[in-house]
Amino acid sequence: MTVWNSLERSKTLRLLRNKVVPAVLRKLPRAAWLPLLALSGCGNDFRLFHPVGQVAKAEWYSTLFVTGIILLIIIPTTVATVLFAWRYRKSRNASFDPTFTYSLPLELAMWGVPLIIVVILAISTYSSVFAVNPSDPGLLHGHGAAGAEPALQVDVITTDWQWLFIYPQLKIATIDTLVVPQGRTVRFALTSATVTNDFYIPQVAPMIDVMPGMRTQDAFRVNRTGDYEGFSADFSGAGFSWMQFSTRIVSPATFKSWVHETQASPQHMNYAEFLKIAQPKINKSATPAYFSDADPDLFNKVITAVERGLVFPVAMAMGNGK
Amino acid sequence: MLVHLQGPWSPWFGRLTLGDIPYTNPVIIFAFLFTVVAGIALAVPVLYYRKLGYIFREWLCSVDHKKIGVMYIILGLVMMFRGFIDGMMIRTQQVTADGPHSPGFLSAQHGYLPPAHFDQIYSSHGTLMIIFAVGPILTGLGNIIVPLQIGARDMAFPRMNAISLWLSVSGAMLIMASLFIGDFSTAGWVGLIPLTELPYSPSVGVDYWMWALQISSIGTTLNAINIITTIIAMRAPGMRWDRLPIFTWTTLSTNIIGLTAFPILGVALALLGADRYLGTHFFTGGQGGNLMLYTDLFWIWGHPEVYFLVLPAFGIISEIIPTFSEKPLFGYTTMVAATFAIAGVAWAVWLHHFFTMGAGPWVNTFFSVATMLVGIPTGVKVFNWILTMYRGRITYTTPMLWSVSAILMLLIGGLTGIMLANPAINYTVHNSVFVIAHFHCMVLLIAFAIFAAIIYWFPKVFGFRLDEHSSKRFFIFFVLGTVTVFTAMFALGFMGETRRLDYLYDPQWLPLLIVEEIGIVFYCISVGYFFRMLYVSIRDRGRNQCGADPWGTARTLEFLTHSPVPFYNFAVTPHVNALDELAWRRANGHADTPPDHYEPVHMPNSSMIPVIIGVLSFGFGFGMVWRIWWMAGFSLLAIIALIILGSFMPDPGYTISPEEMREMEAQHRAPGIMADSHPPHPAAEERLV
Ligand code: HEM
Ligand SMILES: [Cu+2]
Repeated sequence: MTVWNSLERSKTLRLLRNKVVPAVLRKLPRAAWLPLLALSGCGNDFRLFHPVGQVAKAEWYSTLFVTGIILLIIIPTTVATVLFAWRYRKSRNASFDPTFTYSLPLELAMWGVPLIIVVILAISTYSSVFAVNPSDPGLLHGHGAAGAEPALQVDVITTDWQWLFIYPQLKIATIDTLVVPQGRTVRFALTSATVTNDFYIPQVAPMIDVMPGMRTQDAFRVNRTGDYEGFSADFSGAGFSWMQFSTRIVSPATFKSWVHETQASPQHMNYAEFLKIAQPKINKSATPAYFSDADPDLFNKVITAVERGLVFPVAMAMGNGK
Repeated sequence: MLVHLQGPWSPWFGRLTLGDIPYTNPVIIFAFLFTVVAGIALAVPVLYYRKLGYIFREWLCSVDHKKIGVMYIILGLVMMFRGFIDGMMIRTQQVTADGPHSPGFLSAQHGYLPPAHFDQIYSSHGTLMIIFAVGPILTGLGNIIVPLQIGARDMAFPRMNAISLWLSVSGAMLIMASLFIGDFSTAGWVGLIPLTELPYSPSVGVDYWMWALQISSIGTTLNAINIITTIIAMRAPGMRWDRLPIFTWTTLSTNIIGLTAFPILGVALALLGADRYLGTHFFTGGQGGNLMLYTDLFWIWGHPEVYFLVLPAFGIISEIIPTFSEKPLFGYTTMVAATFAIAGVAWAVWLHHFFTMGAGPWVNTFFSVATMLVGIPTGVKVFNWILTMYRGRITYTTPMLWSVSAILMLLIGGLTGIMLANPAINYTVHNSVFVIAHFHCMVLLIAFAIFAAIIYWFPKVFGFRLDEHSSKRFFIFFVLGTVTVFTAMFALGFMGETRRLDYLYDPQWLPLLIVEEIGIVFYCISVGYFFRMLYVSIRDRGRNQCGADPWGTARTLEFLTHSPVPFYNFAVTPHVNALDELAWRRANGHADTPPDHYEPVHMPNSSMIPVIIGVLSFGFGFGMVWRIWWMAGFSLLAIIALIILGSFMPDPGYTISPEEMREMEAQHRAPGIMADSHPPHPAAEERLV
């Protein structure tokens, strides 16, 4: 085909092939540390490059795979754009052929090749969606059978603008701090007492919306300890920017003693108490609070109340106003 | 039954009190002074040269599609300027409010904007840029170019065309009013639900947003009807479908989207209005409402809307690349097919905006694959552009520079778009600034195409070229700004920065935020060059006059008639012989053949009704926002009365006789868009209404 013939003849390409590429290849061993530096040197800033837990890892591998596949088509296209734009400028007096306006093989290729790429991507999407599906990640299946501990249940309720975490099995609750044991599946049920938020712990938990009157789910399991930052990712009003919660993944022993400690907290959490803490409040330094004797059914009570029309109105001065 | 409101209400002024005018806020005062100075700078020359009557008669009451197009573009550019200032303020707030130890100024705890103010600014930034800047500019270009490309004298419904324009203007004015009277929505350009409901947004902000969108979307719908009818019914003889210029094709497809999508937005906003005004529960968490219904409705409009914007941009690129490559467009038929494929698939992908809302894996997979399918026709377009350049003879005028850069932006936007289309990836970057960077690649690609189009078609409309020297510098700094800001933003997305943050808790983001701020400096410089370009071009207009085809290699019908285009467009309706008619005539030596005889030409009269409807719809919107019922009611009744009245008033138009036409054509330069109305018909003025 004419395109490839002329590419063959291109002086630029010959230069690339004979000089530039070999030179780069020779230098490569020394240059190889550069991207590594970029990844490790910049270190933990790039949170998404350092996933922890199976679900987050699978998501990151999807990112790499999908990006790689699309680059197969984006890179040549970019190169061709730049090359043609440069090569065929008038002042260069390159070959000129105003009759080249149609070519059946090229047309077939330009529909066909992207189609093949999309088919590959569709298959990978299909499998990854089921693997990391927030409400029931396929990756966490089959675990928890015989002998292993059952999943830890955490009910999450967002208010304006705090996070309430309830551990119904343990009858404790916390505000703006999430503590879970390593190596055990954690399952979340989420709802909001006011507006929509988005539950997000960048390296750990996939994003999922938290909506009033509705129940969404999320899950993860992390096999090492560590501290992570979680926050709301979906704008929810004046206090949104301060809606962080610390996430501590601790050893089972530490978790056990933390639970004991919390169960001794003088503050209790039940529906009446909830109505008090759910009033609009900006918790600027995400100060945690701990509650014992938490009502294991509080989550359902709040959903039901919100479905019946419970709202926590935001005062004019707090919500808007300049 | 009306809902209970926080705060006072009175029959005459509704919710409006003196306290709603934020005269204590220094930022607002500055904005107010700026607006006043700009207003005076415009008003003084108009009054000095006694042009008030001219502007009213020749512009505000005009039904000429070119003038309406130009006014659309002016509206869009002014709104884009304000949107740009908003963007600058957002970036500056974020760079000063990063980390718990970042200082606070002007009563903000971090940075210089308290959350309530910051949230209004990003909400108005998005609303302005998408609905009131890019949208009107593209509509304006369609208005100017489409009738010329198909050899028509005007749009199918000239008066309705003016009504569309004035509805858009009145929506934009509502947003401007919100800056100085009351406040604007804090719930983003998408109107996050249920944040927009009364208990969570008790002030008038959401109402401003809602009515501004509602009013302008009616304008857009009317305009879509107009353009579709024009393209179907008013093509010159010989303009068969297979000879339709590609920009006209993309405008047709885009307006089919517009006609079918905008009413959905209207319904979503009307239901939200019912919730806010009548106390219904369509979208509340409680009492039977379902907030997901709003999210679905919004994006069933919202996704087609983004293609509504991008398709004309594709059309512009497809016109400019052949002109400056001196080659016909590669694969015309495929290009049209790809356009309609994109428009069609755009209907079936809306759920990709909320993969995280908890739909099941099968649903997410379906919408994911549908979204990726859009990539195929989009890719086809890129390949066709590249192959148009292949073996071309490319001259790098500024429109061509913008177009080639737009292709590169599209490649990056497409790459990241397909990444986002995979739910597994989306769960990690949805609502992060990665998404912001993705769609800014896309929206800036549209902006690139817009700047290309303005420079490309400006000489056609005004008869002189824009200054290449400063317009190239405008281009360079704008691209530099874009690369700097959005490379950093992609990186910040991977660092986990989410969108709409007034205060950023992570000090590690600071270096990249500073890089973004540097990009903003480049943008500022480019805006300076933009104004310089306008100034120099107007100053030197005598030197830069141009003929029918200012570029020498244009291919389509609009470059057949004079520059500036006379009010009657073509002296005789052209007969079309080929795709790329001008190129065909040039090749066959017919480009400059004068017509052998003239025929009477029938033209529509100007009318005052559209601009009055515009003013009244502003009154209606303002009345509804502040719940001043008498004002809203009066305006609405008056609009209805005017429309009925207008329909019964015959508009005979007027006719240009062959002799008059010969006389005008014989003049050295055709009477252009700035010229006073055409002396032959003083009667036209009497029939202004
Ligand atoms: C190949 C084509 C494209 C693909 C595959 C694509 C994909 C996506 C996806 C999946 C999202 C959702 C991201 C999220 O919120 O998690 C998105 C958002 C967005 N896209 Fe695209 N997109 C494409 C083209 C475009 C074009 C042409 C435009 C504009 C003209 C555009 C404008 C937007 C906007 C404005 C948003 C964000 C809306 C918001 O949440 O504020 N996209 N895109
Ligand atoms: Cu979309």
